[in-house]
Amino acid sequence: MENTVVKIKDLVKRYGDLIALDHFSLEIKEGEIFGLLGPNGSGKTTTINCLLSLLAFDKGDIELFGKKMTPVSYDIKKDIGVIMQNVAVFEELTVYENIDYFCGLYIKDKEKRREYVEEAIKFVGLEDFRRFYPRKLSGGLLRRLNIACGIAHKPKLIILDEPTVAVDPQSRNRILEGILDLNKNGATVIYTSHYMEEVEHICTRIAIMDKGRKVAEGTKDELKRMIKNTETITIDILELPDSVLKEISGLPHVYDTKREDEKLIVCCSGGKHNLIRVLDVLQKNELGFGRVYTELPTLNDVFLEITGTALRDKED
Amino acid sequence: MFLHILKYELKNSLRVKEITVWLIIFPIALGICFKIAFGSIYEKTEKFSAIPVAVVENTENAAFRQVMENIGKSDEPFLKVSFTDMDGAEKMLDNGDVEGIIVSDGKLSLTVKEKGLRETMLKSFLEQYTVREKIAMDAINTAPEKAQEVIEALTGETVSSCREIPLTQGNPDMYIQYFYNLIAMVALFGCNIGMHITIQNQADLSALGARNNCSPARKSVSILACFTGSCIMQTFCMILCVSFLAFVLKVDFGDRLYLVYPAAIMGGILGVSFGFFVGSIARVGEKTKTAILTAFALLLCFCSGLMMGDMKAVIVEKMPWFNNINPAAVISDCFYCLNIYEDYDRFVTKLITMAVTTFIFVFLGFVFSRRKKYASI
Repeated sequence: MENTVVKIKDLVKRYGDLIALDHFSLEIKEGEIFGLLGPNGSGKTTTINCLLSLLAFDKGDIELFGKKMTPVSYDIKKDIGVIMQNVAVFEELTVYENIDYFCGLYIKDKEKRREYVEEAIKFVGLEDFRRFYPRKLSGGLLRRLNIACGIAHKPKLIILDEPTVAVDPQSRNRILEGILDLNKNGATVIYTSHYMEEVEHICTRIAIMDKGRKVAEGTKDELKRMIKNTETITIDILELPDSVLKEISGLPHVYDTKREDEKLIVCCSGGKHNLIRVLDVLQKNELGFGRVYTELPTLNDVFLEITGTALRDKED
Repeated sequence: MFLHILKYELKNSLRVKEITVWLIIFPIALGICFKIAFGSIYEKTEKFSAIPVAVVENTENAAFRQVMENIGKSDEPFLKVSFTDMDGAEKMLDNGDVEGIIVSDGKLSLTVKEKGLRETMLKSFLEQYTVREKIAMDAINTAPEKAQEVIEALTGETVSSCREIPLTQGNPDMYIQYFYNLIAMVALFGCNIGMHITIQNQADLSALGARNNCSPARKSVSILACFTGSCIMQTFCMILCVSFLAFVLKVDFGDRLYLVYPAAIMGGILGVSFGFFVGSIARVGEKTKTAILTAFALLLCFCSGLMMGDMKAVIVEKMPWFNNINPAAVISDCFYCLNIYEDYDRFVTKLITMAVTTFIFVFLGFVFSRRKKYASI
């Protein structure tokens, strides 16, 4: 049986009248890449800060590696790698020195440390920048340095709090690939983000958070199965009589139809060959149509259906 | 762990531009400005050049001639004497080569072209000489056996009726105080390095603080290493500052230079601990904290008379207790004692006051920074 690395039970954190975490519970097993997905202000970073014992909480228990986590749990902290949302590096130290500084807080042996620092530099692709000062690095490279500082000591548990915010696509891909590599090497990963594509891409299990509560948890397939929508069909069409729209709405597994800007949107729940059946109706009524495409549900659909609001709307 | 953090604290501090500017470049630049400004004033007010004077001997006066020749031969001559005839003397006076003409023809008389300080000094000299010559002649005529004793007493006596009794072996001129104030100000600027210790170690103040709190390094060790590094850096800056003033600008600290160093170093450490204390007492952003600390430091400097000399007297009169706890005042008082008093008692007392104040600041700083968890980040 896989070991439980993180166990959070009934965590409550209040800021005055605002409840930041509302009886939040979570269990993460060894070897998982666990995603915490939610809009800004949903409680992701608060959860991480409580987990790291930086933030005092009102109620609840937190265990890491089977032990209660406290601010002086130095033996636990030794096995944790933290990549903060805000880049936390020394402006006046070079790339190499920054990584060496943070690695040195965990690894005493100088030879071993040198080796680890070199590996970390290679891992994040900063070989050509080792003598650079952080202010000379682009946003993406700076994020990579931030990651190198957090993982150089080869931790068993890596916590990444929105590591790809304001990062260019190239660096983002590199970071995501790096996280998958770290996981392959045995690290358990907690990954918080409000970018659902990222979470969907790398996480083995996901918890969706909203207003300090966990609203859903499972693998991405499990989450998608929780909702009604299984397929959304979109067809570009100029004319669509109401009678035809009514006929499509009556098709098996179709639970919603919409007309939006010369587009027909058909939402289906379960079933197979939904697209063929819709196109048959259009052909039978001799209606011409343009582009046709079909989409499987996303985590945004999951979030939308569970909370009644789109994740991106919340970002706005 | 301690040495690892200390090593990087020193590396980081050495490269921080603000430290270089405020603790190294600023005192050097201001010291040069002081030297240029006060140097010219000093030359004008303190350093005399010998007064050129022409002596015309219409009758022989061996005693007077000897006195004038001796004056001209001394290390720092008061007069630059030219023996000549009346025509030559008048020509020299017209050309401005001499300030006056002393004519000896039975009695001594002085001719000057215009009135001024140097002419007054010539007149005063001549009057004093005439009086003393008369005393000596009276002694020879009335009590020849005592004549030698009287002449020796007259030649040994200073021209002024007031005698300067130094209280210290330092340099008590008023301009040196500005350089002491400069050192005190640099010492207090160490508060910015001190505040950086808190910023770097408090999770609620910076991302770096939060990151450091996640590591297995004990907070007390981390703070102690940063504090040690900051004190080393500040000490280096203080030594550099004092050495630059003493050896490059040739500021005369008297024979107490060796005491200026410990006072400056102790003052610097007090400045660091003050910043550490202020940094740990309130939870506001780094920039706000820096602004508050700088304003506070400048206010303390103002109250201690570092900017306006009279202010210190006002504070001493109205709020003497404040003067005893104001770090800027304690540092400047230490230098003041060194400069004014001959004994070391007051100086040592001020050094001890600085050490105790430092200890209190560091202790309170540690107490306020001991928080392990934060209500909000």
